[in-house]
Amino acid sequence: MLFEDVIDFFKNIPPFQFLEEAVIRDIAGSVSMEFYPKGSVILRQDGPASDSLRIIKKGGVKISMRSGTNEDVDLDYRGEGESFGLVSLVGKEKQKTTIVAIDDTVCYLLDKQKVFSLIESQPTFTEFFLQSHFTKYMDKTCREMRSKSSFQGSSDHILLTTQVGEIANNDVISIEDGSTIQDAALAMSKHKVSSVVILGSDALPCGIVTDRDLREKVVAKGRDVRETVKNIMNLPLIRVDAKDYCFEAVLKMLKYNIHHLLVIKDGALKSVITNHDILLLQGKSPLSLAKDIDSQQTIKGLIPVSRKINSIVGFLLKEGARAGNIIKIVSELNDRLVKRVLDIAERKFGPSPVPWCWVVFGSEGRGEQIFKTDQDNALIYADTTSAMQEEAAHKYFSDLTAFVKDGLEQCGFPPCPAHYMASNPQWRQPLRTWRKYFSDWVTRPTAEAILNSLIFFDFRPLYGDFSLAEDLRSYLAELLEGQEVFLGYLANTVVHNRPPLGFLKSFVVEKSGEHKDELNLKIKGIMPLVDIVRLFALERDVRDSSTLGRIAELRNKHTIIREHADEIEHSFEFITLLTAHHQAKLLEEGKAIDNFINPNNLSNLEKKTIKDAFQLIAGLQDSIVELYKAFIW
Amino acid sequence: MVNGMMGLFQYCRNKIRPAARINEKIPVEKVRYVAIDTELTGLDERKDSIVSVGAVRMVGGRIDIGSSFYRLVRPDSELTAASIVIHEITPSEVMEKPDISEVLEEFIGLCGNDVIVGYCLSIDMSFINREMKRIFCRPLTNEMLDVRLLWDWLSKRHTNHKAFSMPLREQSLYEMGKRLDIMLSGAHNAVMDAFITAQVFQRLIPLLLESGIRRIGDLLNIGSPERGGGRFKLGGEASNF
Repeated sequence: MLFEDVIDFFKNIPPFQFLEEAVIRDIAGSVSMEFYPKGSVILRQDGPASDSLRIIKKGGVKISMRSGTNEDVDLDYRGEGESFGLVSLVGKEKQKTTIVAIDDTVCYLLDKQKVFSLIESQPTFTEFFLQSHFTKYMDKTCREMRSKSSFQGSSDHILLTTQVGEIANNDVISIEDGSTIQDAALAMSKHKVSSVVILGSDALPCGIVTDRDLREKVVAKGRDVRETVKNIMNLPLIRVDAKDYCFEAVLKMLKYNIHHLLVIKDGALKSVITNHDILLLQGKSPLSLAKDIDSQQTIKGLIPVSRKINSIVGFLLKEGARAGNIIKIVSELNDRLVKRVLDIAERKFGPSPVPWCWVVFGSEGRGEQIFKTDQDNALIYADTTSAMQEEAAHKYFSDLTAFVKDGLEQCGFPPCPAHYMASNPQWRQPLRTWRKYFSDWVTRPTAEAILNSLIFFDFRPLYGDFSLAEDLRSYLAELLEGQEVFLGYLANTVVHNRPPLGFLKSFVVEKSGEHKDELNLKIKGIMPLVDIVRLFALERDVRDSSTLGRIAELRNKHTIIREHADEIEHSFEFITLLTAHHQAKLLEEGKAIDNFINPNNLSNLEKKTIKDAFQLIAGLQDSIVELYKAFIW
Repeated sequence: MVNGMMGLFQYCRNKIRPAARINEKIPVEKVRYVAIDTELTGLDERKDSIVSVGAVRMVGGRIDIGSSFYRLVRPDSELTAASIVIHEITPSEVMEKPDISEVLEEFIGLCGNDVIVGYCLSIDMSFINREMKRIFCRPLTNEMLDVRLLWDWLSKRHTNHKAFSMPLREQSLYEMGKRLDIMLSGAHNAVMDAFITAQVFQRLIPLLLESGIRRIGDLLNIGSPERGGGRFKLGGEASNF
C-alpha cells in the first residue's frame, strides 16, 4: 500500500536503513511529500530556516551560497537518497544556503519534531547526521566525501557510550559579576582555562565568558577591558547533566554554536566541558600522540605509537579537516617520529666525528605525506679535513644510517626501492660532494640528472646541524641563477605530463593492466601541480620546500601564481584529500595503498572539481610553454 | 410531527456542521486540501454503493502521507463480479467492515473545512452526498476541485509542457499520472488513487501559479465542478478563446 513504498525507500538509504523496522514504519507514518519543478528554489539563503529534513526521493538539488561579493558559489549537489536542510533545522538561524531543484524533484519531508525525536532515541541516526554535519569549518568539497566515509568506521561509538561526567574534569573557575573583562582574562590565564563562569549576587552562575568572547567581542571590537564582564558574557547558560552521554553535549554545542557547556551534577555546577574534551575522548588528539612519540626512549617503544599516526588520518578526514592541515599534522608527527629514531641512534653511537644533518626529500621533504611512504632521506656531513677524519666519518655514518634505516622500517617506513636513502653511500656525503652533485645536475642536465633534481631539490633539513642544509640551499640558488637551460629542461618535464582532459567525456585512464580504467591521482593530479610550483620556486629562489608554502611565497613573486594561487591551492588540496580518502579506505579494508581511483565512483561534484583541476593544470602548462618556448621541444 | 422534525433536524445539525466558507483570498500554497477517491460497486447511482473511501491530506503542495485514510465499507448492494475484478476486494473482506455511516462520520471529520480534490469528482460526490443526505440530512458543503478540469484548463495554456503535448489518449487518472512522471505502483485502491490524485494536483500547482492562479478563489473558479470550472478565463485572455 501507500506506506509500503515509503518504507521500501527508507529501508534502502542510510542512515534509515540501519534503524529497526518498527522505527522505519513510524517514520513512514509521519512523512510528507513535496514536488519541486526543475529550477525552482526550495530553500533560499537568508530566508526562514528549514522546517523539515528533506530526503530526495527523485531528482536532485544544487546547494549554493551567495558570497560577500555577491557571487553564487556552488557548494554541493545532492541526489536520490541524500538529504538536506538539517543544519538550518537544528540551528535556529536563518537558512544559510540556497537550494534549487536541478531536475523535477520529489522529496520526503521529516518534520522538525520527528527529527529531534530520532536524534534523541536513535544513536545510529544521530551518529550519521553528527558525522556529516559536525563542523562548519570544513572545505566545501570535503563535505560530501566525508558523509560518504562516515560509516566506514565506528570508533566514534564512544560518544554514545561515555557520560559527560566521566570526561568533564575541568575545574570551574568563577568570578563575580562585578568584575571587569580584564579580571576575567586574568582568571582564565592564571588557571589556564578557556572559560570563566560569572556568578551573580546570589552566588549562582549567571553567565559564561570564553576565550572566543575575548577574541570576538573584546579584541576584534577594540572594547575597553575595564568594562564590566557582564557586557560580553554569554546568556543563557547552556548545560548538560553529568549523566548525559557525550553525543548530547556535542549536539548542544552544534545547536547553539558554542564550545563550552556547564556540567551539572546532582543539581550543582560541577565542571565545564569543551569541544577539546570531546576530541581528547576520541583518543586521537594529534597533540597527545605527539607527546606520546616524544616520550619514547627505544625503537621498540616507538613501533606501537607509530601505528597510530595512520588512524589519525582517518580521524582528521572524518572531522572534515582541510587537506592542507591533514598533511601538516601528519608531517609533523612523522617528523617527530623520525627525529626520535635519529636521537635514539645518536645516543647509541655516541658523538659524531663531524657535524651532520639529516635531510628528507620527495613528499616527505615537501611535508606532503598522507600515509607513510618510502624512506626518502640523505645525510650531509661537514667537510672533513684529513683522511683519518674522513675514515672515521665514513665508519660512523655507515653504522648510524644502517641503524636508522632499520629503525624507520620497524616504525612503518618501508625502505626506498631505488635506494634514495642515507644508508646508500652515494647519498651520505660531505657537503663538498653534495655541492658537486648539485652543480653537475644543473650544468649537465641528463635525464638522470633531471630526475635527481626533481627528487632532491625538495630537500628539507630534519635533524642535526641545519646550517649544512642551508649552505647547500644557498649554493643551489646561486647555481640556478641564470641557468635558463636547466630550468628549460625542468619545464619540459613539467609540460609533458599532460592532464587527461578528455576526462568525463571519454575517460583517459589506465588502458590496461591491474588498474585498467582507473585514474592515477598522484601522477596525473598531484605531481603536475607539485612540478609546476617547484619550477617557479626554483626560478624565483623560494626556499620553502612545501607546495602550499611555495605558493604562499610566490604570490608576490610570480605573476602566474599571483593570478592562480587560490585555484592551485584548492586543486592541490582537493586531489590530496581525494587521495587521502581513497587510501584511508584501502587501509580500512586491509589492502595495500595505491593512488588509483575509479572515476565512475566519484560524485558529480568530485568529477567536476577534478575536471576543473585538470583544466587548471593544462592552462598552467600552456603558460609555461609560452615562457620557455625556446627550450620546449 | 413538528417536534419530530425538529428533533431530526437537531440530530443532523449536531452530527455534522457544514464546512465554513473559504476565504477566497488565501494563497493556493497555504490552503488545506484533502484528495479523495472512492470505489463503487458500479456506476448506477440508484443501485450501486460505496465499497471504500480513501483520502490523503495536503497543505498547499505538501502531501501529508502519514494522514492517509482508507476504509472499506460494508456495502448495501451486492458486489458485482466486475467490481471484484477491478478492486480485488472480495465480499467476505467487506462484510466485516463498518457500515457507511461510521465511515462517513470519520471521513467528514477528516475533511473538516478543507478543499476536496478528486478526479472526476462529481461521480464520487454523487455517491457520497446520496449517503450524506440519507444519514445526515445534508450534503458535504466543502469546496471542491477536479484535477481533470485543472488539467484541461492548463493544457490550453502550457502547450509547450511535455505533459500536455498531446491530448490524453484515454481519460484516466493513470494517464495523467504517467504524463507527469508520477510513480504508479501496485494496487488500484481508493487510497492509492487518492494519493495519485494528490500527486497530480501537487505537480499542477506550480503550473497554475505560473499561469497567474495564486488565490484559492481563482483556483476554484477554474477547477470546481460546482462553479462550472474550466469556463473561467483570466482577465485579458477572453479574446483569445
